Amino acid sequence: MREMTYMKATLEGLSEEMAKNPAIFVFGEGVGKRGGNFNTTVGLYDLYGPERLCDTPISERGFVGLACGAAMTGTRPVVDFMFGDFILDSLGELINQVAKMQYMSSGRLKMPLLLRGCIGIGHSAATHHSGSFYPMYAHFPGFRVVVPSTPADAKGLLKTALNSFDPVMFLEHKEILSVKGPVPDGEHFVEFGKAAVVRPGGDVTVVALALMVHKVLAACEPLAAEGISVELIDPRTVAPLDIDTILESVRKTGRLLIVDETFAPCGIGAEIAAQVIDRGFDELDAPIRRLNGVHTPTPYSPPLEAAVVPSADAIAGAIRELMAE
Amino acid sequence: MAVPIKVPRLGWTMEEGVFVEWLKPEGATIAPGDQLFVLEGEKAAQEIESIDGGTLRLPPDAPRPGQTVPVGAVLGYLLEPGESPSWETEPASGGQASGGQASGGQASGGQASGGQASGGRKPPGGSASGTSVSGGSVSGGSVLGNEFAVEGRKSEVGNPRAAVTDRGARTTISPRARRLAAELGVDWKAITGTGRTGRIRERDVRAHTDHRVGAAHETALGSPPGEARSTPGRLVPLSAARRTIAQRMSASAGTVAAVTLTSKADATNLVSFRNQFKAAGDSPDSLVPSFTDLIVKLAATALKQHPTLNASWRDDGIFFSEAIDIGIAVDSDAGLLAPVVRDVASLGLRQLAAETRRLVERARARRLTADELQGGTFTVTNLGMYGVDAFTPIVNLPQCAILGVGRIVREPAVVGDQIVPREVLTLSLTFDHRVVDGAPAARFLDALRQAIEQPAPWLVP
Repeated sequence: MREMTYMKATLEGLSEEMAKNPAIFVFGEGVGKRGGNFNTTVGLYDLYGPERLCDTPISERGFVGLACGAAMTGTRPVVDFMFGDFILDSLGELINQVAKMQYMSSGRLKMPLLLRGCIGIGHSAATHHSGSFYPMYAHFPGFRVVVPSTPADAKGLLKTALNSFDPVMFLEHKEILSVKGPVPDGEHFVEFGKAAVVRPGGDVTVVALALMVHKVLAACEPLAAEGISVELIDPRTVAPLDIDTILESVRKTGRLLIVDETFAPCGIGAEIAAQVIDRGFDELDAPIRRLNGVHTPTPYSPPLEAAVVPSADAIAGAIRELMAE
Repeated sequence: MAVPIKVPRLGWTMEEGVFVEWLKPEGATIAPGDQLFVLEGEKAAQEIESIDGGTLRLPPDAPRPGQTVPVGAVLGYLLEPGESPSWETEPASGGQASGGQASGGQASGGQASGGQASGGRKPPGGSASGTSVSGGSVSGGSVLGNEFAVEGRKSEVGNPRAAVTDRGARTTISPRARRLAAELGVDWKAITGTGRTGRIRERDVRAHTDHRVGAAHETALGSPPGEARSTPGRLVPLSAARRTIAQRMSASAGTVAAVTLTSKADATNLVSFRNQFKAAGDSPDSLVPSFTDLIVKLAATALKQHPTLNASWRDDGIFFSEAIDIGIAVDSDAGLLAPVVRDVASLGLRQLAAETRRLVERARARRLTADELQGGTFTVTNLGMYGVDAFTPIVNLPQCAILGVGRIVREPAVVGDQIVPREVLTLSLTFDHRVVDGAPAARFLDALRQAIEQPAPWLVP
């Protein structure tokens, strides 16, 4: 298998699908000749030309509304938001139109719309360029919310998104874009709503997404030396959410920690905890624990920024605490 | 004001019991202290006396004899003279109330709704208001049975505040550990938790069970217990008594450092001693003591000489009881029971025989009270009637030792230079090596053997 970066893998996936399906076109700020702020479309302008790689003005609500209309007509728009924070500027279109269109048309209109943006805290990007918000999107009916952690998953999930007829929020953590990993040759799809068991273990189940998957993995090594065996689950998609795989793991371990960079209140950890208690109360040998990013706007100062994100040490500490419950 | 008659808590861990029967008919006038009904608790059926007086009335959905009832369930009501029961005065909403109680398999749920219902349909100035108050107390505190006391245990059962405190200090257990304990039939209240704030975790239940059941034993069984379910057969649900026996046996097998000594005693003189009673005839005034009676009496004399065998294990030390109270194992329909004969040393042989006969009859009729089963300092179990010679009885915790009595059989014995027939009896003494060492236990057994061989001085007052 080839090794490639996360970003190269999604670029390859997008290029493969664009080559197959002429209805796919990309628009956003700087996605044309410039190849995207995060190199999400590098080289595609030369391959597919200005009509399919279309630069837009800074007007999120405008071009998302445009994308909604385009999707209704049968094309397959990819909206590249660059920073995921600016998806918020288009929420009226997204939540009131894009997410409801299939319902409002009794399914006669499809909404094959891919909305991608980079998320997460890092590089002192400060408070307007560090948001993630995926629990919020998963709150609304109608969206698929995808948060991949590895190059292979990113490619496979992007290709699945480009064949979906539902609107897909595809959120890429900007601190793992340059992470390298094996990517299968040829066509590679990853199903929505199917969690990955990243690391099998027997003592405690940890659920994490995106960058936190990598941080948990780093925490697992010292813990293994202490005799604590962590099973790490990456749901990969927040909506649909694969509770079955998490439950299966909790059935084995009896302990659950959700590590999530986003805010704790009303978050994905709360949702997972509620569903696990609902269906797996008798499996639990300890309270369910969450470890989240600090509930605050993200600071610019590098030491302060580091302090609001769960570190590998903090994760190892939380796991030790849970084992002692 | 109608006073509800509720299922009392007969033992520390009792959650439910079997309502056996009413001892008074519906409509009877009950005085405080009357024996009102029979309830089977964890080990024995007990007659429950009433603290209050009134006319006994049963609602249409009252538990039937044989039904399992949760502690706190309402069995009936005691009404004041002239008072009508709520289900007769308010037939329309009566159905609603009975709905709540019919589902009374769940203690608090069923009763909470019952209490609510009666509160809601309180007639202006009517008598049903009393039930709403008592219903409320049931659903709120689960303080149960304060209207009724078990014979001889009034102070414990009758103190609701003590029960509440106990509930507050109760140990916690994780849902997973609780499920495992239920699967393994383990009484988790006996387990010490290692989790935060002493919470019992899965590992604690497993450690407790591994301790009890050796790993070798599990593999020797061949197939895991789950597979046994698929084989043809009949699953009999555990009775309260069987569950209690199982828990006590497991607790004993798991904690006692058990050693069994066996010894043969020449019981020829004992047999002839008893034959003299038989020759005198058996009548209510002059009972013939059984061999068990004789050995209980002789064991008491040996225990007097060797009080460590009469001791009991406590977490904070070894308790030497002044009294010699001997439990006698009785095989009953409900399973093994060991009613206790008090102060054996002071009883004459015929008194002892009368007392054991009374206890055995009550055991077989399932009428023993908790008091009659508690507080023994030593136990005697006789399997001689089944042709058993020696066995390894299980210590009845917290007692230190148990004596197994085998059959009396004629064997050739060498006396002087002659081979002669003698009546030989095998004794099996299991003792807890935590409490007493092998040599003192052997000395006790030897003293008992000698007493059996020359019984008259010990048996004649």
